[in-house]
Amino acid sequence: MADIILNALGKKCPMPVLMTRKELKKLNTGQVLELIVDDKGALKDVPALLHKTGDELMETKEDGEKVTFMIKKN
Amino acid sequence: MNFIVKDKSFEKFMMMTILGTTGGAMDVEMNFFFTFWGLNLLKRKFKPKVAGMPTPMKGMAAGMFRKRLKKFGIEDPWELIKEAVDDGKMKLYPCQMTMDLMNIKREEMWDFVEDPIGAAGFIEMSDGGQVVSL
Repeated sequence: MADIILNALGKKCPMPVLMTRKELKKLNTGQVLELIVDDKGALKDVPALLHKTGDELMETKEDGEKVTFMIKKN
Repeated sequence: MNFIVKDKSFEKFMMMTILGTTGGAMDVEMNFFFTFWGLNLLKRKFKPKVAGMPTPMKGMAAGMFRKRLKKFGIEDPWELIKEAVDDGKMKLYPCQMTMDLMNIKREEMWDFVEDPIGAAGFIEMSDGGQVVSL
């Protein structure tokens, strides 16, 4: 499914955003990044980042504290 | 976005770090203009202290905050800043006049700090944009 899995569990602002951007730069258009976080701030921050970069948030799954974002590089 | 950094506290330093690097990651141009006490933050050897603590605890509190921030994933703020500067979106401008006024030398600062500018340079850069004072 995902081309890269990024585990950002335990990381807080701004790290999930900075790490996500870094990984997205490694991907080619159409490839998918799976991002796993447990920072509540990331729920708002990651969509804000993608809104600016133009990459696509395909899915957000919440499982207790854990949130998984599936992101397609555009 | 444009920021004026006039204080040298740990709090202002971390605000500058977090906003600057995040803006850089979001492809937003983040210009920081350092003047008066804020210039100290650009010095390689400077260790900012926590302004919001009573005087005898300011330095110790900074150490404690640094330790907790490491657990949050911020190993070294300057490493994050350098990456954002290298990416080209975050820029750090020292103010020439206050450098002379406070006797702070370019050589004491990190080498990825931009060349010093003056008031007109900052106005030209920020005219029509957003300016925030830290």
